[in-house]
Amino acid sequence: MTATQTPPPTRPPRGPVPKPRLSRMPRKPSSFDTLTLVLAFTLIAIVCLPLLQVVIGMVWKDGEFTFEAIERTLALPDLWTLIWNTLVLVIASSVCAVVIGFLLAWVNQRTDARWGLLNDILPYLPFLLPPVAGAVGWIMLLSPTSGLLNVWIRDALSLFGVDLATGPFDIHTWYGLILVYTVYAVPYTYLNISAALESFDSSLEEASRLSGAGYLRTLRRVTLPALAPSVGAGFLLSTWFGFGMFSIAAIIGTPAQIDVIAVRIVNLLTFSYPPDEDLAIGLSAIVMVFVGLSYYIQFRILRSARFGSISGKSTQHNIIRLGPWRPVVRGLVLIYVLGSTVLPMIGLFLVALNGYWTPNIDWGGLSLDAFRSTLIHDPSAREALFNSLGLGIVGGFIGILAASFVSLYVQRRRTALGAGIDAAIKMPASISNMVIAVGILLLLGGDPFNLGGTWLILLIGYLALYLPQASIASDAAVAVVGKDLGEASTVSGARDWKTFLRIYAPLMLPGLIGAWALLFIRIVGDLTASAILSGTENVVLGFRILEVFNGGSYAELAALSSTLVLITGTVLLFVIILSKRFGVAKTQSAPRTRKARR
Amino acid sequence: MQHAVQIEGLTKEFTRRDGTRIRAIDDAAITIDPGEFIVLLGPSGCGKTTLLRTIAGLENPDSGRISIDGRDVFASHNRTLVPPEQRDLSMMFQSYALWPHMTVRNNVRYPLETRRRPRIARKEMDRRALEALETVGIGELSGQYPGQLSGGQQQRTALARALVNGSPVILFDEPLSNVDAQVREQLRAELLATQRRLGFTAIFVTHDQNEAMELATRIAVLDQGKVQQVGTPAEIYRNPATAYVATFIGTTNEISGTWDPSQSGFSTDAGPIRSSSLTPETASARILWRPEDGKLESSRPSGPNTFEVTVTKTLFLGLHTEYVVRWGKASARIWSSEHHRFCPGDQAWLSVSPEDVMVFPGDGAQPTEAEAAEDTPPQSSAVLSEAAG
Repeated sequence: MTATQTPPPTRPPRGPVPKPRLSRMPRKPSSFDTLTLVLAFTLIAIVCLPLLQVVIGMVWKDGEFTFEAIERTLALPDLWTLIWNTLVLVIASSVCAVVIGFLLAWVNQRTDARWGLLNDILPYLPFLLPPVAGAVGWIMLLSPTSGLLNVWIRDALSLFGVDLATGPFDIHTWYGLILVYTVYAVPYTYLNISAALESFDSSLEEASRLSGAGYLRTLRRVTLPALAPSVGAGFLLSTWFGFGMFSIAAIIGTPAQIDVIAVRIVNLLTFSYPPDEDLAIGLSAIVMVFVGLSYYIQFRILRSARFGSISGKSTQHNIIRLGPWRPVVRGLVLIYVLGSTVLPMIGLFLVALNGYWTPNIDWGGLSLDAFRSTLIHDPSAREALFNSLGLGIVGGFIGILAASFVSLYVQRRRTALGAGIDAAIKMPASISNMVIAVGILLLLGGDPFNLGGTWLILLIGYLALYLPQASIASDAAVAVVGKDLGEASTVSGARDWKTFLRIYAPLMLPGLIGAWALLFIRIVGDLTASAILSGTENVVLGFRILEVFNGGSYAELAALSSTLVLITGTVLLFVIILSKRFGVAKTQSAPRTRKARR
Repeated sequence: MQHAVQIEGLTKEFTRRDGTRIRAIDDAAITIDPGEFIVLLGPSGCGKTTLLRTIAGLENPDSGRISIDGRDVFASHNRTLVPPEQRDLSMMFQSYALWPHMTVRNNVRYPLETRRRPRIARKEMDRRALEALETVGIGELSGQYPGQLSGGQQQRTALARALVNGSPVILFDEPLSNVDAQVREQLRAELLATQRRLGFTAIFVTHDQNEAMELATRIAVLDQGKVQQVGTPAEIYRNPATAYVATFIGTTNEISGTWDPSQSGFSTDAGPIRSSSLTPETASARILWRPEDGKLESSRPSGPNTFEVTVTKTLFLGLHTEYVVRWGKASARIWSSEHHRFCPGDQAWLSVSPEDVMVFPGDGAQPTEAEAAEDTPPQSSAVLSEAAG
């Protein structure tokens, strides 16, 4: 008998805890690991150094310590208006987004009016209709005099003897701006709340019902409190989105003379000569403070809800039968989805095909002339298109490849180093895009790099901004494969490269292609980095749309925006088809995974 | 004889999110001989899977030594660390970890392809893969994809993959926990037969004591990262090294007592109890005995450890009847094959032989030299499986 007796531990159990050692037994890194680490640190550098640049820029200028940037920002005459406008816009739209997101999620998870398509469409809205194109689309619909939707409503009202000269709606107002912000924030709240409702352990609700509480009481006392963290998370994601949003505010807010911080930053850097970097830095710092504050609150909420009752196990929920209300609820959901996606697209396409913006559509005379003159005869638009496509393809490819190496590393080596890399790579998601773009311009735009307005600075900007998305998508692709499959290969005697090529690469491929496509769409539809980093020399699609908006024809604007939607829509369709096919392949092997995880 | 696996002084700590440090493996030592079937048994979170994964090289310990077939694969004193792909082991995962994009045959062939020693011709690889599949009885499924197989078939595929390159040591991480009870019984028997026939060393992790009893040549009981005891199933059951092992394996009656030299026994709430175990070094003791070792009679028997009791409950359990008895402040469960002999409310006499009374240090004292009765003869395994059930 080889029983092992151990002496009592010499260290008192409650003694001071020593700092965790990073690495206990340094394993000789393989060439695979080395490559991954090089990639990871490069990616982290292109995010962190620009941020550092912004922070340093606040107190350091021309080689000396100064508070000039902060003082000048605080002295800005309309600073408080800017902050007030931004806060009102962001908070109001986030509240609306939470309400709509909750209702949609609840209908879809808990009633028989649920509709699978909602899950397919809603999360993809920002991809299908990039905000810059969406904003233009909403103008085409809801401009007070010639907005198509307004005209149609006026026509309908005149049948009842109500005659209006303008309106009834005006997009260039507070409510118009909040409406469009809300439409783009709903995917964040919907996804969070929907996921929480889905994984909510329904036995908690059942226990409440058996304790004698009715449905509404259960909803109020059990379901809603348990959902609070995800509602909070959705709300804060939506505020994060709002603080960094530039295109909607620029296109809808500027004519309404509603100034927000993001637009002012771009104006200071891009549309002023000489660019005023001090003020841009100061305003960026304000954005950082707000974003930091919202993350602090989220952290507090999540921590206070650590005891949270989401079991993570998907359980069968009681589905409420709506009876005669079912078609009504379905109809409302359908109206929301169509209204938020299809309607602005119709606006764009009609104006583009009609050739000029008029409420009286000449249905017989629709033509592709506007597209032709914009895309073929306008060299700067054509160049913008090619630039965007090229950057999207290359940037997407580099981003996804690098992100997938890092995801694999993080999953396979659960070390402190891996966790740190993961956090650093996802950090831009918690800092405003705007601020990173400003930092990149400050760091690389001038001496000694002088990359301002080049392809390379745009590529770096896009990579830095959309890295979290690439990283999350590749994490998902790695997670689909799981840890065991790689370990089984290692135990079978395969080296890292072989495991990567034979096991991970083929299994991750469908997920990575989808992730590439989404990254491509993000880059092609971007306006945040583009507005700050793209010069007049090297125009990209989003920036060109902004230029045309500031001084071009509406037909051209609509044609460019429609082109953008056509590109993103085509690629998105490809993603959906792929994920459906991939989904089929996945269900074939699903019994294994599901059983294994039980 | 070369040891198949030897583990010495192995320690691994994790740091929890809140900063507290957990010893997942705490100074573990086991020596495993070729051809043994070792089961690492313990409740979830006891470190058994972590121990297995450190043998495989999938986790790195902090200190200690692991050698496989006489070769150090991990040694903290000279910073040796052999990566998992060079340890010449096979492992069967709880999830089976079959690669869904490869056919059953390609899954099984994969370990052969990665071998760097003598390269094998592809034909030979296919032949061996098929042979391994036939060994586990699913030769006809070689062209299928894992997603098309039933749970039991996937399990066999995973076993074939573990067997195919003839690794001397095969690790099993609860591989039977995902199939239903009937298939599990059958697979367990087949696994044991295969191991006996091929003669590999098996290290098998489970939390199921029936499974451990049935499969193991020796069981290592783990608790909180410590190896509490290594021994044959009969030793573990009859001769537990610690109170933890005694209570984790099978059922026990427990009472606390203090050593009373004048009686050369323990004074307890139940009255004086004698044990043929060595006396503990501490004054207070945990006194344990198994329900099947108590005898209930209607007249007073002679000898020590005899108590007059009241039957408070009877429970018919098929193989035996459980009688719950109470006397003074004490109560106990007795398993007897004599069904319906007593009814609740009856008076009876309970006797427990001093050989069957196990004594361990009590009240949080460290189990220093807690040697249970060395002279107690191990019982037959027939009794064990009944008792464990």
